[in-house]
Amino acid sequence: MFELNKTLTYQGFTLMWEEIKDFLITLGKMGCDFCSVLKYIFRLRINFAEVIEQSKRFAYDSIPISLTIVGMTSAIIVMQLAPELAKQGGADYTGMLSALVMVRELAVVMSGFAIISMVGSSFASEIASMAVTEQLNAMKVLKVDPIEFLVVPRFVAGVLFMPMIFIISATFGLICAGYVSNITADLSLLNYYTSLWHGLYVRDIFIAILKASFFGGTIALISCSCGYSTRGGAKEVGIATTKAVVWSFLAIALWDFIFASVFYL
Amino acid sequence: MSLEVKNLFKSFEGKKVLSNISFKIENGQTLGVIGFSGSGKSTLLKIISGILEKDSGEIIYPKNSEIAMSFQYSALFDFLDVYDNIAFPLVERKEFRLKYTKEEISKIVKEKLKLVGLEGIENLYPSELSGGMQKRVGFARAIVTNPKIILYDEPTAGLDPVTSTMIEDYIVRLKNELNASCVVVTHQLSTIKRAVDYVIMLYQGNVVFEGSVQELLEGKNDYARQFVSASINGPMNIATR
Repeated sequence: MFELNKTLTYQGFTLMWEEIKDFLITLGKMGCDFCSVLKYIFRLRINFAEVIEQSKRFAYDSIPISLTIVGMTSAIIVMQLAPELAKQGGADYTGMLSALVMVRELAVVMSGFAIISMVGSSFASEIASMAVTEQLNAMKVLKVDPIEFLVVPRFVAGVLFMPMIFIISATFGLICAGYVSNITADLSLLNYYTSLWHGLYVRDIFIAILKASFFGGTIALISCSCGYSTRGGAKEVGIATTKAVVWSFLAIALWDFIFASVFYL
Repeated sequence: MSLEVKNLFKSFEGKKVLSNISFKIENGQTLGVIGFSGSGKSTLLKIISGILEKDSGEIIYPKNSEIAMSFQYSALFDFLDVYDNIAFPLVERKEFRLKYTKEEISKIVKEKLKLVGLEGIENLYPSELSGGMQKRVGFARAIVTNPKIILYDEPTAGLDPVTSTMIEDYIVRLKNELNASCVVVTHQLSTIKRAVDYVIMLYQGNVVFEGSVQELLEGKNDYARQFVSASINGPMNIATR
């Protein structure tokens, strides 16, 4: 019994060590890829046609799902919040609270989740498929760096276009919240928008835009990096995609925590 | 000489894949690299082409020579059509972008497609092409920069005998057209007979045979004899593949 426990403990630690090693290796690779991306950006070696191409994917692919998620979430929150506030005599604060929650947290985080599921996963699987079918090797032999051709435009598109998705989603979320509060708490739209105006701070909007930029760049970098380092076959493409999604979710949570700590603590 | 490999060593996670590999190829010559699967043939090509780093040894070729590689499964970019696949290095590399106009690039792409007998398919995507056509588009993309060294990784793998013969003819034709040095990794004796001047055989990362095609076919040593006769009995142990 003791021997069995010892063996299981040893196996458990070995497995944990393997996971830690894999985590550190992935982190190291991402760091190297990020340095290469920065090197190309500072040298202005950016393929703008490809940036526009990738931006379309950010816009067309993720806007519908982003609007749906942010719109539904804001509607659900206001559906529960507005009647309670009305009961306590604070219905007029609905717009202000919606603006605070939506701009500071919900819109940017939910849009990030939409981007991860729609764009990040597709970046990872696309580049991983290219890796396992030797298309990345072919690029290297043709003396075109895959980081410059594939990763840099996706990273730049992420940094530039994630804020736009945030702005559109947040606006849509606030409009949805207004209609829901009108229906559930009988709050007039004029009152809602007046209250909302009091809850909108320019500082919050700038911080959220900056946060969205960080999210966009991080999602693109993690997704491309997970795809880029894939070796093997179809199974590994799946593993790379899952890894990209999980790591992106964790990274977004971490960035969110860092932003909250730095700007609102 | 055009390409020389000297005392090349490579190992993965402590396992030796290539051990003390040396050879020379003159301009306009084709070297055939044969051996069992897993003997290090593709690794050798990947090191010469710069995809993989070597552990030690030297790879010597004239400065500024372009090296091209044709991949086993073509490795065409599936998000680009045939035209963009072939034009890819000319469009993406600054030195070519500055050297050629759009019209010139279009002319070069059409010339290369003609050279591999595939005119008029510029707008098709790789998924719309047969295996043989994909190989030839891969060849056209490889030679678009007029390389002096061309590497072929199993150029006839998975093709029918007639298409294989055609591919072998193209290997010879492209070599003559560009006066290039070629390295062909293959399992096919027909490719060796038709397209190769000199052969080395790898087994467990070591060169176990080196000689002319004639010497290989005559079975100069036990390894050559076993490979040519496709026998399971001989110095090469199938179980260790």
